[in-house]
Amino acid sequence: MSTPLNSDPRIDQAAVTDESLQSAHDVLLGKQPDEKARYKLLPLNLLFLFSGLIFLAGTYLNRYAGHFDPHIYNENSIPVKGGAVAAVVVDPVVAGKKLFNNAACNTCHMVNGVGQPGAIPPLVGSDWVTGSEERIIRIVLHGLQGPITVNGANYNSAMPPFGRVAGSGFNWSDDKIASVVTYVRQEWGNQAPPVTTAKVTEIRTKDGDRKPWTVDELQKLP
Amino acid sequence: MTNDSTHAATAEVTAIDTQARVPLTLLLAAGLIWLVISGVLGVITSIQLHTPGFLADCSFLTAGRAQAMRETSFLYGWIANTGLAVVLWVLGRLGGSPLRALNWTVAGTIFWNLGLAVGLVGIGLGDMTSFASFQLPRYVGVLMLFAYAAIALPGVLAWSGRRSHGLFASHWYGVAALFLFPWLFSAAQLVLLWSPMRGTLQAVAGGWYTQSLWSLWLAPLALTGAYYIVPKVAGRLMPSYDFAPLGFWTLIFIGGWTGGRHLVGGPVPAWIPTMAVVACTMMLFHYILVGLNLRIASQAGGTAIKFIRFGLVAYVLTGTLDALTSFRVIAVETQFTFMATALEQLGVYAGISMMLFGALYYMLPRLTGRPWASAALTTGHRVLVSFGVVLLVATLAVAGWTQGSDLLDSKLALGEIFNRLRVPLMVGTAAQIALVAANLLLVVNFFRSACVCCATSTPSETPFRQPSALEAHAS
Repeated sequence: MSTPLNSDPRIDQAAVTDESLQSAHDVLLGKQPDEKARYKLLPLNLLFLFSGLIFLAGTYLNRYAGHFDPHIYNENSIPVKGGAVAAVVVDPVVAGKKLFNNAACNTCHMVNGVGQPGAIPPLVGSDWVTGSEERIIRIVLHGLQGPITVNGANYNSAMPPFGRVAGSGFNWSDDKIASVVTYVRQEWGNQAPPVTTAKVTEIRTKDGDRKPWTVDELQKLP
Repeated sequence: MTNDSTHAATAEVTAIDTQARVPLTLLLAAGLIWLVISGVLGVITSIQLHTPGFLADCSFLTAGRAQAMRETSFLYGWIANTGLAVVLWVLGRLGGSPLRALNWTVAGTIFWNLGLAVGLVGIGLGDMTSFASFQLPRYVGVLMLFAYAAIALPGVLAWSGRRSHGLFASHWYGVAALFLFPWLFSAAQLVLLWSPMRGTLQAVAGGWYTQSLWSLWLAPLALTGAYYIVPKVAGRLMPSYDFAPLGFWTLIFIGGWTGGRHLVGGPVPAWIPTMAVVACTMMLFHYILVGLNLRIASQAGGTAIKFIRFGLVAYVLTGTLDALTSFRVIAVETQFTFMATALEQLGVYAGISMMLFGALYYMLPRLTGRPWASAALTTGHRVLVSFGVVLLVATLAVAGWTQGSDLLDSKLALGEIFNRLRVPLMVGTAAQIALVAANLLLVVNFFRSACVCCATSTPSETPFRQPSALEAHAS
C-alpha cells in the first residue's frame, strides 16, 4: 500500500495517523490471546541466540575478570591467597649476574671477566670456564689454589670456596652455584651449555668436605 | 475514500507543527551551521594527518585543538541541536497537543549555542580538557546544562501531559535521552573537572562518559526519530514489537558499562575492561532487536526512509563491530589506530547522523507546510553524503588495519609505518571534502525551504495526503 506514495524526493508522505500508530502498537505490547495457537519461531530463535551470548559473556567474565580483585591488572592472573607463595621462575643468567657482581666474583675477576695479569685468570674465552662442567663446578664449590695456565699465560693465586661446604665463607646454595656458573659460561661471548642445580648437588654430595683443588687434581677429572 | 473536511484528529499537519515552526527551525538551523563548521574542521584535521606542517604555525588550529573543536562542534552542535529538535517534535506529535513552553526552547537554543561557541573558542585558545568527547572547558559547563534544561522542557511537558495512555517506543528513547544527558554531563563535570578523581580513575570515568554519551544520548536521540518515522511512512506494524522494550532496557542498563573497553591493556584492574567486553557482547541484544523492529524500512521509499535505512544498517554494524573489536585478541590490533576512528565515524556519522538527516527531511515540510525547495539538492545531498561517508569509513578502516598490523611488526620503523598510511589518509581528506560539499547542498536547500521570503507562493492546498488508520492486526 505504501510504495507509490513517496515518488517526490521533496516530501515524505505519511501512511498512517499518529493515533492509530500508537494504539495499534499498544495492542502488541499488551497480552495477546493466542487464539489461533500460532507457533512463532522467532522468539525461540532469539532465546537460543541470547542464551548463547549470555553463556559466552559469562564464561569470558569468569575467565578474565581476575575474581574482580582490584589488585589484578593482568586478565590471565588470579589473586594469590594470603600466605601462599607463588612459584617464580628465575632466569639463571639474571640471578647469576647479580651474584657475580655483588662484591663476590667481580672483585678479582672484574666485571668484564678479564681477571688480573699474573694473579687472577680471565673467564673470557677460557677453556676452564667453557670446557668440562665437572671441573668448573668443583672450583666454585671448593675453591682453587696454586699455579694455573689459562690461554698460554700463567697465574698464581687462591680462589676461596663458595659452596655450602666446610670452610666456606659464602655458603651459597647449589641453586646459586648453578646460576653463577651458568652466567660465566654464557657471558662475554662465552657459549657453553648451562649447568643444573641437580649436577651441583650431585658433585657436592660426592666430594663432601675437602680442601681447595689444585690444577693437577682437576686435570685427572673428565 | 479521502475525507476532504480536514478532521483535526487525522490531518497530517496540525497546530502541533505550525506552532513549533519557529523554535524548532531555529534548532535545526543551528545544528546545520555547526555541521558545516565541523566539516571544515574535519577537512583541516584530515589534511594535518598526511601533511603535518599544514597550519602548524597557527596555534588556534594545531592538530590537537582542531580535532577537539571538530568533535565538539559535531556532537554538541550538530547532533545535539538536530537531535533535540527531532525529539521535541516527535514527543509533541505523540502527545497529541501543541508543545507548551516553546519560548524556553528558543532561549535555551540561544544560550546553548552561545555556550558552545565560547567553549570552542576556549578550546582553540588551549583551555580544552583531556577527555575524549568532553573537551569543552569547565567554564561553559553550567551554562550549557541550564540551556539544555530550557530546550528540553517542552519535551518533558509533552510527555507528561500526553493524551494517549500508553507509551510508544519513541517515547521511551526520547524521554530517556532528555533525562540522561544532564546526568551524564553533570556527573562527568563533577568528577573530572570540578573535583577531579585521582590517577587512573579519571581514565575510567572519561571512558564511561564517552561511551555513555554514545549509548545513552546520541543513540536514543536518533532512534526516537527512526522508531516514529519508519512505521509511519511504511504504514505497517513493526515486527517483533513486543521485544522492543527488551532492546530499550538493554541499551539503558548495559550501555554505560561498555566504557572500559578502551582501557584494554591500560593501568586499571583487569575486571574493568573485561566487564566492558562482556557489556559490548550483551549490547548485541539491543542492536539485533532494533534491526528486527525497524526492518520494515526496507519495504518503504522516500528520502527520509532512504537516509534512515542507511543509518540503521550502519548502526547495527557499529554495534556488531564494537562487540568484535572489544575482545582483547582483536583490540591488540585495532586499539590506538585509525580503526578506532573508523568505528567512531561509522557510529556517529553513518549511523546517528544519517538517521537524523532522515528525520530532518521528514520533519521540515511538516513544520513549514511546504515541500523542500529543490528535488535536485535533496537527491544530490543524499548521494554525495552517502558516498562521502562510505569512502571515509572505508579508508580509515583500511588505514587502521594496516597501521595496527604494521605496529606489531618490530622490523618496521615508525616513520615507514606512517609513510604507508599517506595514500589512504589522502583519500580520507577527499571524503571529508565530499561531506562538506554535500552538507552545503543541504544548508542551501534548508534555508531556501525554511525562509518565508523564499517561498514563491503560498500553496493553495496542502501537499500532504490524508493518512489512514493503522490496523492493529495487519499483515
